[in-house]
Amino acid sequence: MAVLEGAIVYSNLLVLLSIGLTITYITTGVPNFAQGSMAIFGSFVSLSLWLLFNIHPYYSLPVSFILGGGLGIAIYTLVLKPMIRKEAMVVTLMIATLAVDLILLGVLGAYSDTLAGITSKGTKKFIFTPMDFKLAGLDAILVVSSAVILLILFALFLLLYKTKFGIALRASMENPALAEIMGVNVEYTRLFSWFLSGSLAAVAGSLLPFRQEIVPATGAIIIVSIFAASIVGGLGSIYGALIGGYIIGMSESLITFYLSKPLGPSILLYSKVVSLIVLIIALIVSPKGIAGLDIWRKMTWRRSTSS
Amino acid sequence: MLRAKNLSAGYKELHILFDINAKVEKGRITTIAGPNGSGKSTFLKSLFGLATIHSGKVVYKGRDITPTPPHDRTKMGIAYLPQVENVFTNLTVEENLKIAGYTLENGEYEDRRELALSVFPELEKRLKQKAGTLSGGERQFLAIATALIRKAELLMLDEPTAMLSPKFANNIFNKILDLKDKLGLTILLVEQNIKKALEISDDAYMLASGRVVFEGKAEELLEHEKFGEFCIGV
Repeated sequence: MAVLEGAIVYSNLLVLLSIGLTITYITTGVPNFAQGSMAIFGSFVSLSLWLLFNIHPYYSLPVSFILGGGLGIAIYTLVLKPMIRKEAMVVTLMIATLAVDLILLGVLGAYSDTLAGITSKGTKKFIFTPMDFKLAGLDAILVVSSAVILLILFALFLLLYKTKFGIALRASMENPALAEIMGVNVEYTRLFSWFLSGSLAAVAGSLLPFRQEIVPATGAIIIVSIFAASIVGGLGSIYGALIGGYIIGMSESLITFYLSKPLGPSILLYSKVVSLIVLIIALIVSPKGIAGLDIWRKMTWRRSTSS
Repeated sequence: MLRAKNLSAGYKELHILFDINAKVEKGRITTIAGPNGSGKSTFLKSLFGLATIHSGKVVYKGRDITPTPPHDRTKMGIAYLPQVENVFTNLTVEENLKIAGYTLENGEYEDRRELALSVFPELEKRLKQKAGTLSGGERQFLAIATALIRKAELLMLDEPTAMLSPKFANNIFNKILDLKDKLGLTILLVEQNIKKALEISDDAYMLASGRVVFEGKAEELLEHEKFGEFCIGV
């Protein structure tokens, strides 16, 4: 049961990360390799608030959300936007995000040393599990991460389908040139997508230490699963990212766990191999990811004739 | 209303249009005709700020709008309808109308929506449908409806009848005439269906290899002795 709970928690967080990655990919066309470190940024926000002000990580989620959003906007406006303006190729932009990832890694490492100096506590490696408690017989992290997912999906649904800005956002995702013609300032929608991506990543990062030990370089490890989840989802669809996140999260946790029984616990170190194998299988079955599966096409079947 | 002055344009280093002088008069239908590859579509794009201007300028209501970004031209009352991908296929018809009214106040939007649906009552029963499920002709209706909502005074249509059956094409031409007669709109039309387009037009330009080879009244072009040659680009 604890294994299943852990798998659900992990999948919830992975979904937040893969939705973020997918949104910025759709709006700016950049596969963001810094998404993992953006999450670890959130972990450090929560750690700092805990060590400095004794604020429980669950209460620091709104702060993480906002600061993470700020980080997303900073990465876009300072690094990517100037390059996009100069018509940089996708590969260049992708490598720029790798550079951002390394910079974040360095900054987080240096910051953790400073934080350790101020608080005289170990901050190079940390975990929040001892701070967790029970809610209705379940680990609070299970309840909180599930509530966060539901809340964010609900808010995202309201935003995308019930507000004018949301419709503009979807319009810009489908056809930015036409959205521009309609008078939508597409640049705002790009900025917003980076804000959202950063804030979702930071929230996931604030909750991740309840499930695993965090070091400044953890981002470089989880990015594998984030990409696997987004690619399985089709990389162009928010629903895809949602389903992809659960497929990768659940299989990564559960398959490694069941393999560890006959093969020994050392196999747990290789859990990312599972996500990559699932990724390959999923792409062989459906090369365009979940969003490219026939069932969806039938649901959005087009009358392609002219009358 | 709209003028191109010594306009040379293309895409980045690619030069397509050379020294074009043309004007669109208020309340009239002007057709830009020409064989394939003559630069008709590029001309519309350059007027709307979607192509690279190499030299010359675009003047709208006496104001130089050459550096104005497209979304600001929309606010000034210019609507450009591309040949394809002129509606958001993943959005419903209703959402397409709503996004067209993006820059309008709420009450104003309702009025414009009503007006657009009165011109295109065909859309009324499709409001909840995704635009991707509409037929080609209905999509054109929706695209023009979105321009009406945007309070367009000048409508620039890029081959609105392309890939439509003759019956539906006629339907579109009638609607375009209605837009001019009943709503007083100014229309700039690029058409491959040249004869039909000229029949409803007041003024006409003929392009060939990126240059103007005829300028005058639409009926003059129709009766021009070289009309056939113009059409095939000799």
